[in-house]
Amino acid sequence: MAALPKRIVKETERLSKEPVPGISAVPHDDNLRYFDVTIDGPSQSPYEGGLFRLELFLPDDYPMTPPKVRFLTKIYHPNIDRLGRICLDVLKSNWSPALQIRTILLSIQALLGAPNPDDPLANDVAQAWKEDQSKAIETAKQWTAQHAARPTA
Amino acid sequence: MVRDVLPEATEEIAEKTDLYVTYHSDARHLVRLMQCPQCSKPFSTPVTLPCGHSVCRSCLPASKPRANISYPNTPDRLIGVACPLPQCGAEHAAAECNVDVTLTKLMELLKYDISKHRPSAEDSPMLLEEVLRDAIDSPMEEKDLVLVVQPRSRVLHGGRLVSTFAMVELGELRYSSELKYQSLSASGDDYYDLDVAILERLRDVVHKELDCLVCYNMMLDPTTTSCGHTFCRRCLARVMDHSSACPVCRRDLHIPASLQNKGSNTLLNSLLAALCPDLVTARKRAVEAEEQVGNEDMNMPLFVCTLALPTMPTFLHVFEPRYRLMMRRCMEGDRLFGMVMYNKTSAPQGDLGPTQFLEYGTLLEIVNYELLRDGRSFVETRGVGRFRIRAHGMLDGYNVGRIERVEDLSLSEEGSLEQTETTAAQEVAEEFSRDYPDAPLPTPVTLNLHSTQELLDNCMEFIREMRQASAPWLSARIVQVYGEPPEDPATFPYWFASVLPIAEEEKYALLRTTRVRERLKIVYSWISRIRGQRWPSGSSCSIL
Ligand SMILES: [Zn+2]
Ligand SMILES: [Zn+2]
Ligand SMILES: [Zn+2]
Ligand SMILES: [Zn+2]
Repeated sequence: MAALPKRIVKETERLSKEPVPGISAVPHDDNLRYFDVTIDGPSQSPYEGGLFRLELFLPDDYPMTPPKVRFLTKIYHPNIDRLGRICLDVLKSNWSPALQIRTILLSIQALLGAPNPDDPLANDVAQAWKEDQSKAIETAKQWTAQHAARPTA
Repeated sequence: MVRDVLPEATEEIAEKTDLYVTYHSDARHLVRLMQCPQCSKPFSTPVTLPCGHSVCRSCLPASKPRANISYPNTPDRLIGVACPLPQCGAEHAAAECNVDVTLTKLMELLKYDISKHRPSAEDSPMLLEEVLRDAIDSPMEEKDLVLVVQPRSRVLHGGRLVSTFAMVELGELRYSSELKYQSLSASGDDYYDLDVAILERLRDVVHKELDCLVCYNMMLDPTTTSCGHTFCRRCLARVMDHSSACPVCRRDLHIPASLQNKGSNTLLNSLLAALCPDLVTARKRAVEAEEQVGNEDMNMPLFVCTLALPTMPTFLHVFEPRYRLMMRRCMEGDRLFGMVMYNKTSAPQGDLGPTQFLEYGTLLEIVNYELLRDGRSFVETRGVGRFRIRAHGMLDGYNVGRIERVEDLSLSEEGSLEQTETTAAQEVAEEFSRDYPDAPLPTPVTLNLHSTQELLDNCMEFIREMRQASAPWLSARIVQVYGEPPEDPATFPYWFASVLPIAEEEKYALLRTTRVRERLKIVYSWISRIRGQRWPSGSSCSIL
């Protein structure tokens, strides 16, 4: 296999040395392109208090193509579907090689703080969100408590 | 063998010292790299033009409408700027003359660092005398004319670099002029240490600031886009394989992926060469090693696409970004790559397991490469050999492999094989007809009875029949592409497989053969099948 590009090495180093508050990303020992990610639910969002697990994979032609990111923790959100796939422009057509793992995870965190039911991936959730927002937020909170509870020490 | 680390370390120090001596003695050259060729002052908000040269934004001549330009037809391209640099002289589109973001920031940092090294006390006096380049170059007769411009001189402090830059800031040193230095120190100090101190800083600033946003390395051959953003030339080319937008500002760049005709950033390249030549060399070596997959023998790029055959042409339309990159690298290198077919049934491929591709392939040489403006390309190749993949990996999104060439047996082995096979078949045939006088000979026996030449003659006979029947797969157009059938039994099967419309999976069998007879027999089996299907139907073209 090809050696890990310098860029990935540097990004990984920086993620561990200067971590982003509320976000962690740790590569697997046996596959340095595959990261275990956790994101804290942003405060004042229905996801507050939750700890969300994601997987992130850097494809062979990264950074020419975006990282592949998916939620592993179940989440009730109009832009995230049942399989954890995320509808976010910077992960698709608006990707640029000048972006990085750090900026992508920040965008995902921001998406949790600002759900956008007008650009849905999960249609049923988006529909519920539009019809009765407070009820949808209540459901999102319940899901957070149920699925994204922090492990208690 | 045990290697002492000491000599190498010493060598590195020596290299660096050489660098400092060079710049102490040629401080003038280094300062010129921070000087606008137009106004001779330190660069102020420089613009890098499409030709790769830079001038201050305020030194760009006024733009004017361009005559006779209709493509690309955007309003900003219809306005032109006459390039102020005599070595270029072209008219650049105003839209492509934007502030060079990287160079502007770098110049500010360099200026700041030099100002910090300005001496607080006037204790390092040196006489700087301008030497006019024109005065040196001009013949004697013209001297009177040139002398209208008077060379200037000044006593300044802080070592050669700092004082030369000070003279430039004062506007007293023309871009083209040289300088003569004369230390006025009582102790005869030439202020070498002052120059080393500032050089160390400048070197640091340049290599930290020229970090590419795509690869996170020091820029290799920095190239600046029309929007003023700079990347390694190869990084920019790779980005253009995927998108025509600038990675930083997302402006549409309209530049072909090859970056042909796109000048590199002359000034940034000169600064790197001047201040960090050792780092540039190291970076070049690292890139070469990277493109070699880190493993020197896993070096064959693999194009997973279609069946290609030795000695025959294969035409490709390359549009996938990863293959654009692969083709470009091939063109820069030996023009060779491996073509392999998809493993549609996920069948295990020898020791490799169920790989995405089949294990045998054809080595192709690029004979013609036509790059389209949008980065796609048409590639004409010719098969130059066969191989088997022994190991494989990925490089920047495409497959690479360690290959082993597949060759035919030697002619003497081929000859004795023909002898043994035909003689044995003879005996079997005689025995068979004794035992079953009325039955026809089994096909394998008939096949083995034929000499290699007879096998070829029979194939040729079939071609003649097909031509008389005007088989569409032998049309003039096809023959023009693949040529007339070769008379060499070794290559005839490749030609035949190229023109015959049967499944590629069947033709693939030819790639594994190491004997000419074996290949001809495969062709023979196809012919028998076609004949068998054709004759009973009574029509000459029911199948083909
Ligand atoms: Zn120019
Ligand atoms: Zn200027
Ligand atoms: Zn780069
Ligand atoms: Zn840009």
